[in-house]
Amino acid sequence: MTLREKIQSDALIVTAELGPPQHGDGQSVRKKCNHFRKGVDGINITDNQTGIVRMSSIATAVLVSEEKLEPVIQMTCRDRNRIALQSDLLGAAALGIENVLCLTGDHQKFGNHPEARGVYDVDSVQLVAMVNRMNEGFFLSGDPIDPPPKFLIGAAANPFAEPFEFRLTRLAKKIEAGARFIQTQAVFDLERFRVWMQGVRGLGLHRKAAILAGVLPVRSGKAIRYMKEEVSGILIPDTLIERMDRADDPKEEGIRIAVEIIRELRREEGVRGIHLMPVMWESITPRILEEAGLIEETKH
Amino acid sequence: MQAKPEKITAIASKGTPFARGTRRLSAAMLFFENMVKIPLFQCQRCGECVLSHTAFVCSQRCPKRLRNGPCGGTRPAGYCEVYPERRCIWHRIVRRSKWMGRTAFLCRMEKIHNWDLEKTSAWLNVFTGRIDPPTFFLRKKRMNDAERKNTI
Repeated sequence: MTLREKIQSDALIVTAELGPPQHGDGQSVRKKCNHFRKGVDGINITDNQTGIVRMSSIATAVLVSEEKLEPVIQMTCRDRNRIALQSDLLGAAALGIENVLCLTGDHQKFGNHPEARGVYDVDSVQLVAMVNRMNEGFFLSGDPIDPPPKFLIGAAANPFAEPFEFRLTRLAKKIEAGARFIQTQAVFDLERFRVWMQGVRGLGLHRKAAILAGVLPVRSGKAIRYMKEEVSGILIPDTLIERMDRADDPKEEGIRIAVEIIRELRREEGVRGIHLMPVMWESITPRILEEAGLIEETKH
Repeated sequence: MQAKPEKITAIASKGTPFARGTRRLSAAMLFFENMVKIPLFQCQRCGECVLSHTAFVCSQRCPKRLRNGPCGGTRPAGYCEVYPERRCIWHRIVRRSKWMGRTAFLCRMEKIHNWDLEKTSAWLNVFTGRIDPPTFFLRKKRMNDAERKNTI
């Protein structure tokens, strides 16, 4: 089943994230694909995340689809203006890529080229609307596209960043603009996530788009501390940091925490699936999915 | 806060090229516009003013120049991800909108910016129909029970 069919059905959806390498050797991408063979419906290919130069997401996605896996390309507004965005999307459609995740993109200041000029010609809500318009058969200028591409549009949501009360409005805007699946920021603070999901259900947004909750396995106490202090937009309760610090084997503890979070998220009404983000730790994907019992459920 | 988005009518405005005379007039008007808008709103002269939708806080002061809401990186207590010493401009917009009772304006999708209007007079652009006129007064709508449930 493709991701589109999965979203239309009622089945559980599991997506995972693959970071392209910082070199031009495709073999390492093919090797990483082996971690996602079982139980993963879509593989997000990040687009120069945190502003660090990596292999282009469309090129990596082609390698991934050659390995018979389904890629989801991320498109950020940081590096491309509306001309490049539309042209890249047409190219992606020609290469058989059907899923696009529309993002604003991390600011270039955090990357390895902080001197770069940020483009930000359109923002993520407008990008969703623009891709939707391309699906309808028109460029942004109004010129026709014949035949039009057929993209499944996704967007991101962050339930954990300020201003909290506006985050739902922004999500509603993205869904109104045409997003069909939503991947959230990594969930550590389940309380905050439950409050947010209550709002999502109140607006009926979970019926219009599939909500995939983000899960990020951490491998050490240092990593989780770094995320709390340096990565903005993530809320981490102190109890989790203490647990990671106290653990004899932090890696095992990280896996246990991820599995626990997945189980809790699955209980939440309106969550259609899990988006796993094993940053720099792709090899752990099969084990986490296995232990959380997701592999049996996604079998078809 | 109301969270029901408005229906999207147009995602970008069709730009009409400037005649030479209009550019000159625009530059002259911009001189006076700057005298008002820069001290009051720290106007960034985008030429496509949405101040009336953002509770009179200029959204173009955002490092990513976002027009439709904050990015996912706002720090705790509402500080900017890129410049930690500044407040996230969208945090201020949301707070001011609530204070002024103008949150309904935040529910519409702002059009994609027309960069041809950069450093032109927004006042003249409204007058010549290049951009939508500002909305100063919000018509009070009585909410029914279903709508009240949708507000948070």
